[in-house]
Amino acid sequence: MSHTVLLSGPPGCGKTTWILSQIQSYRGPSGYLRVTGYPDEGLAQARDGGLDLAYLRDQCPDLLDLGDLDQALAPHPADLLALIELPQFHPPAQPGLAGVDRRVMPQLQALHLNPDRHLHFGRDPELPRQDTLDFSHLQAWSLNLNATVWDPDSLSSFWFELVNGAYGDVYRAKALMNLPDGRAFFCNWMVSQEGSQFLPLQTLAPPDGRPERLSRLVVQGRDLDPAAIEATVRDCLLSDAVLELQQAPLRQRHTPPTRSA
Amino acid sequence: MAHAVISCLHANLAALEAVLSDIDQRAITTITCLGDLVGYGPQPNEVVNLVRERSIPSCQGCWDEDIIEGLNACECSYPSQLAERRGHQAHQWTAEQLSEENKAFLASLPMTLRRDRLLFVHGSPNSQHEYLLPDMDAFAALERVQTADADTLFCGHTHRPYVRELRDGVIRVRVQTPADPQAAAEREMALPVRRIVNAGSVGEPRHGNTHATYVIHDEATGNVEIREVPYDVERTCRAIVEVGLPPVFAWRLRHGFEYAERADDASHVCER
Repeated sequence: MSHTVLLSGPPGCGKTTWILSQIQSYRGPSGYLRVTGYPDEGLAQARDGGLDLAYLRDQCPDLLDLGDLDQALAPHPADLLALIELPQFHPPAQPGLAGVDRRVMPQLQALHLNPDRHLHFGRDPELPRQDTLDFSHLQAWSLNLNATVWDPDSLSSFWFELVNGAYGDVYRAKALMNLPDGRAFFCNWMVSQEGSQFLPLQTLAPPDGRPERLSRLVVQGRDLDPAAIEATVRDCLLSDAVLELQQAPLRQRHTPPTRSA
Repeated sequence: MAHAVISCLHANLAALEAVLSDIDQRAITTITCLGDLVGYGPQPNEVVNLVRERSIPSCQGCWDEDIIEGLNACECSYPSQLAERRGHQAHQWTAEQLSEENKAFLASLPMTLRRDRLLFVHGSPNSQHEYLLPDMDAFAALERVQTADADTLFCGHTHRPYVRELRDGVIRVRVQTPADPQAAAEREMALPVRRIVNAGSVGEPRHGNTHATYVIHDEATGNVEIREVPYDVERTCRAIVEVGLPPVFAWRLRHGFEYAERADDASHVCER
């Protein structure tokens, strides 16, 4: 029997982490959809750009993309676990399915998705509570980084500055970043947590030019300075010549596998 | 007689004024500067002018050298591409701002200064770019002081003040000649106590807080006092933004982070 769970909560509360744990512990097929959330007064939603899906599919290659019309409209496996992520700043007015934001339903119906459960971070006790913050004002900004490769030490300095307030008060930052040796990292930071997560992707790109995988930076906070962030990012990214210089010796040692052990 | 040693001013006028005021309050009249008068900070001319007005003997730091001779350090002097780009940006800005007269002054600075058995350098007696870190190999550290023919070596460059005493240095040599294997000669040399004193940094502290640091050395007692001096950091931060340097420089200074981190291999001496 299939299950369709709608999971909502504010930025950085752990929605994607919880979803990953559910997918990894479920023995049957799983699908994922991230619904665009709605802004609230003074609260802007982040433009995820497929970042969470890219990370989840790296960790769980068989994960169905329920936002893909072909996959969504095809007959679903009988035991499909469908997990729908909805960024939502404030708790629902009513418990259970009655509390689902009505504006979301047309999107879900178009994809033949009918939630049979609705869980909200900060309300439902089976979800972790510790990371749930009550935001009153939030600015969102994102940067497409596709086909870019970072100088690793510069990435470390930039991320330190970003999450420690050099470019405004950052409450939430996440990113997929490429390194010259073919690795990529899911960088994850939340103001309420201690330290950043740097999670290596399973999928390795060959050290042969610029990777084709999705790469993106998403930031939420207050008084952000996007121009300064972009300027610093530009100083951290490798040129074609430097990238080639770093990858040439790696190619001699490289073997074709595209997923790490 | 007590004398003060300052280093790494990095064009930070508020910090230099605070340190000189602290020195003046102690009625110390002999001050020696270990270089890096400019670089990263917003007031290169003002800082050089003040050092000249006070007639403070100075040796040349790596930034002073680079400003007058052009960048000649390789990228390995920086820990990251980002640090390198920022360093170049600061270099270009400083070179544009600095008056010809002040450039000539920096060009005239000696690599080392000596007063009796005290030697004053920016990085090490070998190079303005070499870092003498507090935990560097003791034999190598002793070699730097011994070959410079000094009892106490004053240096800067690392931006972290420290006093290191090198004692119990013994070199034992056994020489055996093929002609007479039985007549092997053994010599033992006990090296006297030597000291390395790092003055820290006036304008770009890297020791964990924003206070300017310098040292006071009493030649009679040998005592070394590391001084921490609070100053108006916000004044310098405002100036950084006003003159058009990257605002992130102000953020880093305000939080006690150096403008650019130390290179991974601190012992590397660029020969370019």
